[in-house]
Amino acid sequence: MTRFRSNQTEQATPLLRWVTDSQLEEIHLATLEVLERTGVQVDHAEALKLLKDAGCIVNGNRARIPGWLVEEAIRMAPRKIVVANRKKERVMPLESNRTYFGTGSDLPFTIDLETGEYRRSTKKDVELAARVMDYLPNYDFVMSYAIASDQTAKVSDLHQLQAMVANTVKPMIVTAHDERNMRAQLEMAALVAGGREELRKNPFLILYSEPISPLVHTNDGVGKMFACFEYGVPVVYTPGVLAGATTPVTKAGTIVLMNAEALAGVVMAQLKQKGAPIIIGGGATPMDMKTTTTLYGSPETMMNYAIMTQLSQYYGIPNFTEAGCVNAPVPDAQAGMEAGTGILMAQLMGANLVHDVGYLEGGKTGSLTFLTMCNDFMDAARYMGAGTKINHDTLAVDVIDEVGPGGNYVTHPHTFNYFRSEIWTPATFNRLFWQNWEAQGSKTTEDKAKELAKEIVAKHTPEPLPESVLKGLDQIIAETEKN
Amino acid sequence: MAEFNKMSEMVIAGDFAGVKALTQKMIDDQVDPISIINDGLMPGMNVVGVRFKAGDMFVPEVMMSAKAMAAGIELVKPLIAESNMPTAGKVLVGTVKGDLHDIGKKLVNMMLESAGFQIIDLGVDIAPAKFVEAVKEHKPDVVGMSALLTTTMLSMKDTIDALKEEGLRDRVKVIIGGAPVTQSFAEQIGADGYAPDAAAATDLCKQLTAN
Repeated sequence: MTRFRSNQTEQATPLLRWVTDSQLEEIHLATLEVLERTGVQVDHAEALKLLKDAGCIVNGNRARIPGWLVEEAIRMAPRKIVVANRKKERVMPLESNRTYFGTGSDLPFTIDLETGEYRRSTKKDVELAARVMDYLPNYDFVMSYAIASDQTAKVSDLHQLQAMVANTVKPMIVTAHDERNMRAQLEMAALVAGGREELRKNPFLILYSEPISPLVHTNDGVGKMFACFEYGVPVVYTPGVLAGATTPVTKAGTIVLMNAEALAGVVMAQLKQKGAPIIIGGGATPMDMKTTTTLYGSPETMMNYAIMTQLSQYYGIPNFTEAGCVNAPVPDAQAGMEAGTGILMAQLMGANLVHDVGYLEGGKTGSLTFLTMCNDFMDAARYMGAGTKINHDTLAVDVIDEVGPGGNYVTHPHTFNYFRSEIWTPATFNRLFWQNWEAQGSKTTEDKAKELAKEIVAKHTPEPLPESVLKGLDQIIAETEKN
Repeated sequence: MAEFNKMSEMVIAGDFAGVKALTQKMIDDQVDPISIINDGLMPGMNVVGVRFKAGDMFVPEVMMSAKAMAAGIELVKPLIAESNMPTAGKVLVGTVKGDLHDIGKKLVNMMLESAGFQIIDLGVDIAPAKFVEAVKEHKPDVVGMSALLTTTMLSMKDTIDALKEEGLRDRVKVIIGGAPVTQSFAEQIGADGYAPDAAAATDLCKQLTAN
């Protein structure tokens, strides 16, 4: 009988660290210096008063935040935020090193699944994206993906929430035009949850609100956040930047500025309400210096997100980052590289909410085909992230002895028992020899993903909302549009 | 003149201090101030424009060149009567009502300035009435509107309508831009042009003011 090994250490899942703890502290201290020396602009009266009363130096709308206050707010912010699905199942605990993927919001353009036409996005696109993600297992949460630009602009954000909630049970992250529309969305969410108390117990939605870089906190951005805290709904409060234009061009400088903006949000949140569920991070994208486009799929973004994820783990505050979003205008080889590397990095770093999966053209265009392809990328990344199992069975010494020199393993029960878990199977990747590939119609990965997307759209029916709730949602939208 | 070539090269290299010193020297040597602009500064900037378009220069380099040119112009400007000041045209810009984003607009401004346009930037969250007022005051050749949000881009049409109501529409060219904006949207709301990025906006302004 073989006894266990003493002093055994195991690496259950791979360990990826981009910088050391002392470098994180260096970034943290630089951030405190920015908040204390330069401060932030706050265009929200209540927030400004809260900051002043808490000991900030306030001149006009500029608040200089002392380091001790920032650190106190970091300690007060929850380390764990549990997000439920529409059925009150607590499926998405945001804790350090648990990674969840979802798409992003508000793409103005869509490549039509049926016609291939590049056109303006509609509410139908939001519905279809939600339905496709409801089906695809690697999407943990949804965002609107498209803009409901065929609806009245004043309430298009409400239409997007309705389209999502009617087409998926998965948790969702919403955007809102302003505080008023946010409050309307919170009422819609309460209706779906069965009352405000139920929503507070098991929130199924998160708000995505933004400061504007550099260092500006708008009335609507803060107002929307505060409204959500009243309902116990978590808030992502993070900037989306253009490094070299709205932040310093250096990666470290970008991270410091973004961190300052996010932590100013944490301070305002905790002053508004102790323990307010806030999520930090952001879109750390550089500006392309030839074309001025936002670089979503670039190596720098992935490097920035690695450090920003470590920072959030250092603070013990859940984070929001992005991957699977690309600058390629179509789902080509470039798109695969841009999406694949980002997704793998996010998984290995243990980022929490990884959004924008399935974005094309630098965050302007959606495609259900690409959204479907990314499901495979996430599947592979998760497979790798889950690590290599090393134990008596997988070391397979007995099997090696049984098969012996010159034998084969293909008929062995060990292979039969383990091949599914030990060899990853994609849904859309091509692995055919040329002749067979030709015989089966010479389909590219994109063709296969398009077919799968079409099949999901045709066949998948998400769990419906009760008729009365759907009517109630219509009513709230109509009332908000009128007033 | 060798000094003009040297000045052009300094503009291309973004040599702010060099351009400043050489401009001052030329002024002291009684060189015609308009010639300093037309034969020294602008030819350098024109090369920058061509190189940028070809992808051989990057935005921060163009900005530094523009800054160098501006340093020279600042010195000669007081010596030239305003009506004689060489300019490609006057462009009034603003981000439309309800929209607080301005980095795209700023980039357009800087590119236009580097191409010799005079810029009046109204800022962000600009209501149609404010555009109208500013058009009356500044009499620009071109009005440029920017929007990042699909909800705010509809306000572009309101501004165009307001210009029509005030009888100002025929006196200015209207151009629009921003992530959700398209050529067909421009046509739909009766704008004179759309540009997908700052470099294209510069070409568009040149084209519209040449006519």
